[in-house]
Amino acid sequence: MESIKGSLLKKFETRSMLGLARFKEFLLLLLHYKASCIGLCIVMGIAFLAIFAPIIAPQHYAEIDVPNKLLPPSLAHPFGTDALGRDIFSRVVYGAQIALWVGLIVVLIEALIGTSLGIIAGYFNGKIDKIISALADLVWSFPTVVLALGVVMVIGPGITQVVIAIAITSWPSFTRIIRAKVQSMVNREFILAARSIGESDLNIMLRYLLPNIISTILVLATLTLPSAIISTTALSFLGFGAQPPTPDWGAMLSEGASLLIKAPWVATFPGIFIVITALGFNLLGDGLRDLLDPKLRW
Amino acid sequence: MIYVDAPLLTVKNLKTYFYLSKGVLKAVDGVSLTIKRNEVFCLVGETGCGKSVTALSIMRLIFHPGKIVDGNIIYEGIDLLKLPESEMRKIRGKEIAMIFQSPMKSLNPVFNIGYQISEAPIVHFNLPHEDAWKKAVELIGKVKMPDPEIRAKSYPHVLSGGMRQRSMIAMMISCEPKLLIADEPTTALDVTVQAQIMDLLLEIKKRSGMSIMLITHNFGLVAERGDDVAVMYSGKVVEEGSVKDVFDEPLHPYTRGLLGCIPVGFKRKTEIDYIPGTLPSPINPPVGCRFHPRCKYATEKCVKEEPQLIEIGKNHTVACHLYGE
Amino acid sequence: MENPLLEVEDLKKYFQVKKGVFAKPSFIKAVDGINFHINKGETLGLVGESGSGKTTVGLLVLRLIDPTSGKIFFDGVNIAEKSQKELKEFRKRMSIVFQDPLASLNPRMTVKETLKRPLIIHGIKNEEECTTRIINILRMVGLGEEHLERYPHELSGGQQQRVAIARAIILNPDLLVLDEPTSSLDVSVQAQILNLLLRLQKELNLTYLFITHDLVTVRHVSDRVAVMYVGKIVEAAETDELFSNTMHPYTAALLSAAPIPKPEAKNIERFVVGGEPPSPINPPVGCRFHPRCKYATEKCVKEEPQLVEVGKNHMVACHRAKEIDISSYARKIWEILMARTKSV
Repeated sequence: MESIKGSLLKKFETRSMLGLARFKEFLLLLLHYKASCIGLCIVMGIAFLAIFAPIIAPQHYAEIDVPNKLLPPSLAHPFGTDALGRDIFSRVVYGAQIALWVGLIVVLIEALIGTSLGIIAGYFNGKIDKIISALADLVWSFPTVVLALGVVMVIGPGITQVVIAIAITSWPSFTRIIRAKVQSMVNREFILAARSIGESDLNIMLRYLLPNIISTILVLATLTLPSAIISTTALSFLGFGAQPPTPDWGAMLSEGASLLIKAPWVATFPGIFIVITALGFNLLGDGLRDLLDPKLRW
Repeated sequence: MIYVDAPLLTVKNLKTYFYLSKGVLKAVDGVSLTIKRNEVFCLVGETGCGKSVTALSIMRLIFHPGKIVDGNIIYEGIDLLKLPESEMRKIRGKEIAMIFQSPMKSLNPVFNIGYQISEAPIVHFNLPHEDAWKKAVELIGKVKMPDPEIRAKSYPHVLSGGMRQRSMIAMMISCEPKLLIADEPTTALDVTVQAQIMDLLLEIKKRSGMSIMLITHNFGLVAERGDDVAVMYSGKVVEEGSVKDVFDEPLHPYTRGLLGCIPVGFKRKTEIDYIPGTLPSPINPPVGCRFHPRCKYATEKCVKEEPQLIEIGKNHTVACHLYGE
Repeated sequence: MENPLLEVEDLKKYFQVKKGVFAKPSFIKAVDGINFHINKGETLGLVGESGSGKTTVGLLVLRLIDPTSGKIFFDGVNIAEKSQKELKEFRKRMSIVFQDPLASLNPRMTVKETLKRPLIIHGIKNEEECTTRIINILRMVGLGEEHLERYPHELSGGQQQRVAIARAIILNPDLLVLDEPTSSLDVSVQAQILNLLLRLQKELNLTYLFITHDLVTVRHVSDRVAVMYVGKIVEAAETDELFSNTMHPYTAALLSAAPIPKPEAKNIERFVVGGEPPSPINPPVGCRFHPRCKYATEKCVKEEPQLVEVGKNHMVACHRAKEIDISSYARKIWEILMARTKSV
């Protein structure tokens, strides 16, 4: 019993040390690309806001203060106040939590569905491939937001529902690319070699194909996150996502839309943050892709 | 004054380095060789010895992060390394041409071969397009492809490997160069096609008097088609001489090792000679003689001091401490 | 007396090429009816150029692809029609080494993991036993414990191929298919790997199917050689017999074209053959070699020659094998190949 634990621990140690060294090397390389550097900073900044929101935000996001409604930006309220006197800065900061959280969950679900289907389609080809590809094409040809709207109409509004709706309508972007990657690898000698020693199909997909497409998945995830965030904010803007008083940026946009002339700050600041976050992830994803893809090419 | 007997190309102490984040890769580190007129000069070596980089240096096709750091390349009395790029462009394709290993990668997939073959004559001789096209068709015939007029309109992807290589050759001889550099021209081809392509190259050489610099790792090609040969190891020339001399009496232990480890002349299914160890890293080559870690004759001197090329016998040079003094 | 470990009967593999929804499907006749056998402990060299189908034969024998028709007898059992599940037992007894060692190893698995997989798949799960066997096999192929945690891209070409070989022999197979195992390695490393393969064959009593296009190598390692052209075997014989008494014009052409690393070979008369190997989609009717053969007659154009025995264990598929004498070309080359090198 002890020896198994010991050997596992040792294995983890060596792996993590190797992993750490490679991660350091990787990070150093990433910093070479200025654009992705900026992207990384933005992402880290937003993540920081999200994690430390309760400390950074001067007020709770739902704190109503009607006498002080629609105040322009000032020292006390850096982003001003909204129609209910809530501090917009605090709401934006808390909103980062929601944006990232939602974005991450959407991407996670998308990646799970999309990758599994992509690997299966690419590996087995034939009928299975045709069915999955047809399904992917079908789902993909609908505009995401419209399809998600349809789903939400059925299962009702709310952040969780929006997350599910977006995820199950955007997975084809993963499937397409993963399938193509798998197809290019399936006839490589190391897959043939795996079959020659008797590996089962499942093992080949899990141990041979999956580890080699993790970088692709990572890049895809980073690049899909912005559109996930934007799609969720779109649905929230339409009123189907976060319900008040949740400080979702899209919902805040919606609230501030009618006040654009009288109190532009209500919509502008959340809007800016949406753009910056999406940009940050895009830049980071671009850098990652440039970094990882040439190395992958063999 | 250029004498007919004067060598066509002389490389003196060429150094080409690549500046990478890992360190300086000394691909070519002091290479000297001489190519005569109307001869087949072979440059032999294994992966990473610097033979391809030598050829690219002669053509001045070295780009960032590589740089030709030192040396002279004298072609017909002119030092190519001192020429401005505009002058060098007049030499590339017209005086010195190069064909590569993988013709599919060297041919442009979106233009037909007639067009590609006529490019060089248009650039170098200012031929009008119709004349250049006629010349292209003529060249396609010269490289023994059937139905030249029809072939000229074909695109590279419909041609077989052998035909693509012939197209490349046609492209490169279109301006009648005096030196044709062939970098592993037949490695990617079938054996029977290899023989045809080599026959073709030698026939062209005979007719036009051009020299061929053949870069290869195949000693069979060298033995059968070469006149002179230089053996490279880790960025340096270790032995140079006529093919007959080097094959019959290999001087350098590396040459001997290489020739010895070809499965020829051994009893079947017995173990053949081999060179122990692996090729040195081009970023951190061994000090002293680069071959010493793998050499059974290595002495203390070999570990400390790098041997220079010395002449043993007529035109047979070797860089090894076993000789000389 | 002769107990073939592997025997192949009228093996065919056609790949379907679809050119569109409405076009009639055409077939790439990669392997078009071949017969051969390998006895235990023997090495059969399978020679051919591109399009000959030799690599496909290797994959068929291992059932990595399914034959279109024909029989594959492994130790007496026809494995051609067995399901992949039934084949798992046989996978222990045969394995393959590929041409490109880096491509044949999983880039995300260490040497240890790569070598462990075959053991685990076939029931050896005890950690200690696995480690012992892995270290043993590494020593056998000339590597050491320091290589256990390395990834393929951290090894040299020769080392990668050694790992591939180790993986192939770790379960003590009977048959090893070697598909151009040294072609992408440097000359000095080729010799090391060839020596390793020869040594392993003796120590482990292995049977080799050695697929290559390099005649010099095949002459050195094979007991018998079979020459393939566009999906068919055109000549097969014991090595010395094939090289000194060549009977098929294509074999003579191959031998003539192979560059020999000896200056004396420069002046031998060569059997020159023009043209290129035809496409396996529409091979020529009759004898497939006839468009390039200077001895071709009307019969050669119309009728496909069968593989018949014309000498001791010497099979040829040529209508005019007994009439024409092309062995003189090959014999001179063979004599040069056989001459001992000056001792250096």
